[in-house]
Amino acid sequence: MELRVEASKHLGTFDLNVDFTITGSRAGVFGPSGSGKSTLLSLIAGLIVPDRGFINLDGKILFDSSHSVHVMPENRRIGMISQQSQLFPHLSVHKNLLYGYKRCNSIYRQVTPDAVIEVLQIAPLLTRGVNNLSGGEKQRVAIGRAILSNPRLLLMDEPLSALDDDLKFQIISYLKDTCEVFNIPYIFISHALLEMRVMTDRVLKLANGCARELVTAEELARGSMKDSGSYINLLQLSEPQCAGDVHAYRWGDGQLFVADTGVPPAVLFELSSRDVILFKRHPEVISARNVFKATVVTAFDMGVRVGVELQCGTEKLVAEVTKKAADQMEIHEGTEIYAAIKALSFKPLH
Amino acid sequence: MIVKNVFRILPVVLAVFGLLTMPVQAEEINLFAAASMRDAVDALCDAFAEINPDATFQKNYAASGLLAKQIENGAPADMYISANTKWMDYLQGKKMVNAASIAVIAYNELVFVGMPELKVSELKDIVTLERIAIGSPMSVPAGQYAMEALKKSGIDQQLHKRLVMARDVRECLMYAEMGEVEGAFVYMTDAKQMAKNTRVLFVVPQELYSRVTYPAALTASGSAKIQAASFLDYLRTPAAQKIFALFGFTDK
Amino acid sequence: MFAFGPSDYSAIFVSVKVAVVATLISLPLAFTVAYCMTFKRFKGMLVLDVLVNLPLTLPPVVIGYLLLMLLGQNGWIGTWLLQPLGIRIIFTWKAAVIATMVVGFPLMVRAIRTNMEAIDRRLVDASRLLGAGCFDSIFTIIVPLCFRGLIAGSLLMFARGLGEFGATIIVAGNIPGVTQTIPLAIYDYVSSPNREVMAMALCCVSIIISVVVLIVHEWLGKRMGRRA
Repeated sequence: MELRVEASKHLGTFDLNVDFTITGSRAGVFGPSGSGKSTLLSLIAGLIVPDRGFINLDGKILFDSSHSVHVMPENRRIGMISQQSQLFPHLSVHKNLLYGYKRCNSIYRQVTPDAVIEVLQIAPLLTRGVNNLSGGEKQRVAIGRAILSNPRLLLMDEPLSALDDDLKFQIISYLKDTCEVFNIPYIFISHALLEMRVMTDRVLKLANGCARELVTAEELARGSMKDSGSYINLLQLSEPQCAGDVHAYRWGDGQLFVADTGVPPAVLFELSSRDVILFKRHPEVISARNVFKATVVTAFDMGVRVGVELQCGTEKLVAEVTKKAADQMEIHEGTEIYAAIKALSFKPLH
Repeated sequence: MIVKNVFRILPVVLAVFGLLTMPVQAEEINLFAAASMRDAVDALCDAFAEINPDATFQKNYAASGLLAKQIENGAPADMYISANTKWMDYLQGKKMVNAASIAVIAYNELVFVGMPELKVSELKDIVTLERIAIGSPMSVPAGQYAMEALKKSGIDQQLHKRLVMARDVRECLMYAEMGEVEGAFVYMTDAKQMAKNTRVLFVVPQELYSRVTYPAALTASGSAKIQAASFLDYLRTPAAQKIFALFGFTDK
Repeated sequence: MFAFGPSDYSAIFVSVKVAVVATLISLPLAFTVAYCMTFKRFKGMLVLDVLVNLPLTLPPVVIGYLLLMLLGQNGWIGTWLLQPLGIRIIFTWKAAVIATMVVGFPLMVRAIRTNMEAIDRRLVDASRLLGAGCFDSIFTIIVPLCFRGLIAGSLLMFARGLGEFGATIIVAGNIPGVTQTIPLAIYDYVSSPNREVMAMALCCVSIIISVVVLIVHEWLGKRMGRRA
């Protein structure tokens, strides 16, 4: 997917002025409330007409003020999922799902209803009225409806904001999986850093109506580290096996022991950089259940402390030490080091 | 002895005193008159007021049938002038008018008016027209007379669905003047006074309908008013008849 | 006791015919006006608002007279459009329909607008992004969601039409068999002594018709309500 946007729009007291190109299939727009993220999405979708500029998606011109071109939203093949599911209250769930599908030209119909219903697990909801669904169920139907319209690009305007925390990561996995399975590129908007890191690779930073810079999700996280003071590692673990009072997960080509917290086994875990302790030599006797060798990739300044990026086999991890410790341990690129993590330090995300 | 006499004479004295000190009020005459008489009655009231400055009028003009119903339901009329003997008889039967005061004050003729170019010169010619205005026969005397004439000459069935029922004769004339109907049955008096663009195309033969009689009478409240009674007398004087003739009424 | 004559039956028929036709023709017009006023912004919206609501403030007789001035043989439109084409509107049942439409239009537009304004715009946006064009969106999203308003509006127009007198008598006249509606027939009866029984009988017919229409509208409203 390649989206090229150069546009400006004046709305009341707010001015939006952007000039950027986004490539790739997992893109995001990040910024505080009021920075113009929703407005930008509305411009891309064609719901609002820019004052001037042009919008180009995969080589097709969607808007060009110099040639008076404005493609109507229904002809752009761009889908949108927003905070409120916007399901049509007078249609059943099934009819809602098929609304976009029926209006999609048959040559574009790659995604079929049965496949979507299965991936999103909404078969039991089909005959229900829209008002009898819970918030999470509504969002799943909304996702299905948007995907069934076979869009070239899916815009997601803070789709998780209205959901409870435990529901958020359930829906996030549906979002990710569905778009992956059906190969649909998307632009994901949020003001929550964690959601951005899970969903996106490249992120457009937006502030006060201006597109500031295009960064990777990781750089975004590192950038905000300075403000929050610590870095949250996001670990994707799989194949949990019971090993006494802990679970053994596969992590890259290694293994991690995570404490059994009583809740069902998870997939995504948070690990604060402060919970990764570094040793010059193997500690031999230590209470932490996870001890392994790593190579320092880079050390970077974090104000008072130093962030250390480690290569652990095929995976990366960021640890955090004081400046003094970094000097004493002679931490620099290529240094061999040992990392220790307690089994209790991992926080499951859902 | 004197005290007893005083008590007997006092009320009488007070009554006489009261009567004497009562201001001589101008008597307002509530006059209910048929719409077709409007202009003539206005002129007559003005002429009467010149002779009797104390008399003032509160006038109510409408179709005779509607007025009769209003009086029957208690509307405050002192005098009723109808365009039809039927409604006068009706009110007499209901004892709403003073029977002794009933008098015919004028007569009228039924005519057919239309645009001058129209090729209509007698009653039978109107069957070729598309729309004809006629007062509603249920409540407008002019309409009843016209219907009577149509029935007697046998053309009423042919005109079914082509008769526009108006609320009074003035409305008939308005429709004809505006060209929304091709002709209208009105009184000679209306044609004479108000026709601007239309002309009297023919006079409806008298043998086809009953005489258009205008009886007038006093109601119970009117009988008590001196001015009302004297106005009724005035209407039968030659001076009043002259004024009637000006407007197109006849006296025989 | 009483018996309906042919002119009474025709009065009932004409009344229902005029009310139904006026309602059916007004529905798409009122919907369009309500749509433009709700979803579109344009200069002159205030003027449209005033024009639409004007008949509410004018006495029906005034409206009738204005229509007569407009559509009569020598009227503003009559002279240069209707007469040359040989079209006659005054004193036909079409005039009664126009009178009813003008008088009932603001009621219908209001009823539809109230409902329409409650529709979440984002639902309409969602439908556009799912591939529905402007008209598709109107018919599949907006119309079903303001159906209650359409029902209420048509009910108001129909009821107003059944009872219309002032404007109707001026532009359509009182022609038994052609334009005499129930109110005009009742007026005739009431103006005449000894005919109250007939007037009452026609009143009852009017009430029965209104009750039937009310029940049908309630039922329709409930049916659509169940789906939504």
